[in-house]
Amino acid sequence: MAASATALTLPLQSGERRIDDRELVRLSQNGTEAAFEELVRRHQHRVFALVAGILHRPDDVEDVAQQVFLKAYLGIKRFDQRAAFSTWLYKIAVNECWDYLRKKKVRPLVYEADLSEEQVSRLDGIVSSDRPPESVSARTETREILDRMLSALPEQDRQLLVLKEIEGFSVQELAEILDLNVNTVKVRLFRARGRIMETYRRRLNSAGKGHAASAANRKE
Amino acid sequence: MPRDTGFKSGACERYEALLEDYLSGELSGADARVASEHWQNCAACGDALQNAAASLRLLHAAEPSADPGPGFAHMVMARIRAAEEGDGAAGRANFWQPFVSLGWRFVVSATFAVGLLVSYNAGLGHRLQPTGPQVRPIDSMDLFAPEPAGAPANRSEVLMMVADNSHAKY
Repeated sequence: MAASATALTLPLQSGERRIDDRELVRLSQNGTEAAFEELVRRHQHRVFALVAGILHRPDDVEDVAQQVFLKAYLGIKRFDQRAAFSTWLYKIAVNECWDYLRKKKVRPLVYEADLSEEQVSRLDGIVSSDRPPESVSARTETREILDRMLSALPEQDRQLLVLKEIEGFSVQELAEILDLNVNTVKVRLFRARGRIMETYRRRLNSAGKGHAASAANRKE
Repeated sequence: MPRDTGFKSGACERYEALLEDYLSGELSGADARVASEHWQNCAACGDALQNAAASLRLLHAAEPSADPGPGFAHMVMARIRAAEEGDGAAGRANFWQPFVSLGWRFVVSATFAVGLLVSYNAGLGHRLQPTGPQVRPIDSMDLFAPEPAGAPANRSEVLMMVADNSHAKY
């Protein structure tokens, strides 16, 4: 595909109609660079979320996500559109993540799973209340704490929970991109929920013991 | 690829997928009724469902990954162009590669041939140096020295040589 020759302005909205992914793919296959750029814009957020959910290494997410789109660009002529473009793209993303982890011989970043008393009590507040934190900074901080706790889980449990509940992928999407049966995804998700709560309670208990011990020390 | 980790939620296995559907709000009609009746009477499933609902509250409090922003698409396209230019340069290099390779082979062969020619010439020149006729001054005693004995031509000459040697001894 000659990138420089086809950098034209694409009328992405023709009247009321928004050009759909199928059409953009077809245009990309014919060498329209602007069509592929629009596909990148439309899917970059979810690819980013997917890669971040699997790698759990913030520094490398952008590089791997770029590589995903580069591979998609190089392979788009062979894409027969039998599946949705998003599904095809997410599969490339998942494979790229596995390749990355294999080549670098790393497992996703594992934090020290121990949480401070303050962090545990923050999570306790969230679990016992029906109102999640509203500000972005509070939610970002909660994400950091949760990431620490999630890192204590087996990798597959962590990935499923993050992709489904934090990044917003549906069970159907997860089944397609991970090549799993829908029912299998549901069962694994349900079990992963049990496991994260078990981890959370363990942290809560140890923090409670720590708190009681420090209170006793203060009394003495 | 995720594998089953062997962890059990505590719920009845055949209801786990159904409980997951219930949590996601995807259960309705007869399925919802059957499931609801079951976990109201099954303590294990009831506990597992409460646990799972708490996990939802916990996980939904986290901020999802941020959108990489409008600059990301530009960076991707720049990377694509760079890759294509790299491929183009590699393609041009590939076009000249056979000629370059042939040229190098020619240079190596020519150097070897010249080297061989020079060394051959040097060796042959040494052997072909004009020696001229070897003149030895004649010693006066040489005039009276017997002719060097040649090899006997036949049986009688051999017998003669043996007889001469016998005479010389006595």
